[in-house]
Amino acid sequence: MTVINVTLPFGLIKKVDDYSKVINVILEQHISVNILKFSTGQSGINLLLDIPEDKINSITEALQKNDIIVNKKGRVIIEIDLCIDCGACVSLCPTDALHMDEKELLEYSLEACIGCLICIDACPRFAIEET
Amino acid sequence: MKKITESNKNIGDILTKTYAEINERIKNGSVIVLTAEEMIDFVDEHGVKVAADEVDVVTTGTFGPMCSSGAFLNFGHTDPPIKFEHLWLNDVHAYHGNAAVDCYIGCTRMADISPFEYGGGHVIEDLVSGKPIRLKGNSYTTDCYPLAEVDTEFTIDDINQAILCNPRNGYQRYVCAVNSSEKTLYTYMGKLLPNFGNAHYAGAGSLSPLSNDPDYETIGLGTRIFLGGGIGYVIGEGTQHSPSNRFGTLFLKGDLKQMTPEYLRGVTYEKYGTSLFVGVGIPIPILNEGLAKKTAVSDESLLTDVVDYGVPRRDRPKLRQLNYKELKSGSIELNGKKIKCSSLSSLYHARKIAETLKNWILNGDFLLNPPAETLPTDTIFKPMKLTSELKFVKDLKKDAEICYEDCDIKIVAEKIVRKNINHIVITDRDHTLKGIVTSFDITKAIAEDKHELNEIITKRVFITKDNEPISNAARKMKINKISALPVIDDERKVVGIITSEELM
Repeated sequence: MTVINVTLPFGLIKKVDDYSKVINVILEQHISVNILKFSTGQSGINLLLDIPEDKINSITEALQKNDIIVNKKGRVIIEIDLCIDCGACVSLCPTDALHMDEKELLEYSLEACIGCLICIDACPRFAIEET
Repeated sequence: MKKITESNKNIGDILTKTYAEINERIKNGSVIVLTAEEMIDFVDEHGVKVAADEVDVVTTGTFGPMCSSGAFLNFGHTDPPIKFEHLWLNDVHAYHGNAAVDCYIGCTRMADISPFEYGGGHVIEDLVSGKPIRLKGNSYTTDCYPLAEVDTEFTIDDINQAILCNPRNGYQRYVCAVNSSEKTLYTYMGKLLPNFGNAHYAGAGSLSPLSNDPDYETIGLGTRIFLGGGIGYVIGEGTQHSPSNRFGTLFLKGDLKQMTPEYLRGVTYEKYGTSLFVGVGIPIPILNEGLAKKTAVSDESLLTDVVDYGVPRRDRPKLRQLNYKELKSGSIELNGKKIKCSSLSSLYHARKIAETLKNWILNGDFLLNPPAETLPTDTIFKPMKLTSELKFVKDLKKDAEICYEDCDIKIVAEKIVRKNINHIVITDRDHTLKGIVTSFDITKAIAEDKHELNEIITKRVFITKDNEPISNAARKMKINKISALPVIDDERKVVGIITSEELM
């Protein structure tokens, strides 16, 4: 399984149960999905979904066809001055966006980050912030 | 490495060295120092005999959260003088049970204002950084100490002594933590995701000080070490020192005024509290072949246990044994599944510490000394003696009043009234738990004109078991704001109920 972060923009939400649109699109692919997190953000309703890895392309396509945004951009920022390279966030990151480089220093990949924010409260130095 | 071999040809076949000989070489610049990681490769290439012959010192390092850390401070006297009864440093209560203006600031004590954000560990980091610290204190006043209150600011340069004094540091090894429960746990081992979602470990493995001298031949009272970026000393075995199962610990002290914030960092673990990252590096003199072999210890040969923190007891289940090589690989195997695994302590900084200590010795700035007394090898870490017996759910549970899931609401309501209780446990015919209904649910059903029991049952029920300590069950009720927990057995069959009334 792999985790994706999707947003249903507020402009598309007319009725309260419109968020089910996201799920319906995925259910049409006849796969099981696990909702890890449901939240309302600044731009819309945000869902963190655990889906089978091999379906990621077809699901992304189907969601985008329905104007649902599949977030690819990173959503956290690491304060290098505060980080002590301990690694307490690394095991929590579902996409390896947070990982240790060959020198054992923390490295963050904005490209790989899906903005699940699971890492934020795991940092003992308050070095991870949501952008 | 080859160069070293050649340059020391004249040393010949000396197999043992003394501290004096090593110090002589440090002074005349001919000392050979390797970090514990470099020693592995050296022994691999040249063998133990050559290593014992040529290498004088192996340096170690570790940088991780060490909750049993703190500092003694002496502020000097006011005029008129004060004998503190209570005092706070940046709103963190310091311990005062010593003479008038001495105190101990412990790293896990949290600030009265903004706890879980700032604590004693942060005070120590700020102090070492040269930042001003607010001191507030009061006194009951005496004839010799008449002043009642102090409110002032100081920096580390303004006070007489600032002595880092840590009763337990540098664990020889530590366990690897996982979580079998269904909710995220926030522990001193970091954030542990449910259903074995991740794993955390601590310690630098083959670079850790005590792993390189596992029989405590060279480490003991008086051993000069790297501590927090300055020079410190081992002043004995740490608390909970448990040598028989390789969980040795160290009691350390050092002058905070020489230290740097890079190696003393205040930290906060969500919902656990504050602590202090401490940098420790210990030089191991290679006095004989045995020590050459021991300092070449590899991550593969350092074993520890995977422990389930989902079970909130002292003796948590050990799920498997593994080595530090697997821990450092980024994932571990558990029940046929790969789990992401990361460290809570920094290997980068551990290496930097071993490297720094190596350079101090190479530059002739740091001499080695034999301990006045080595660490004990036979002490046992005992559990706390409790004079009142721990109570379990099975001791306080009562019989659950049960209705089947197809029961009429009216019958449930009658039972609540007749038995004068608030909770009815709903099961199937085999007594398997299906849900719970409270008197409030019945009231709500009438208000909302609901007639089916199925519509008002709470189906996702928090449960407990016979062998759960009562305090754990009470904490579960408090956190989830509920007043009863059905007691079930391993087959989810109801065997009783525990309500807040029993706990009062």
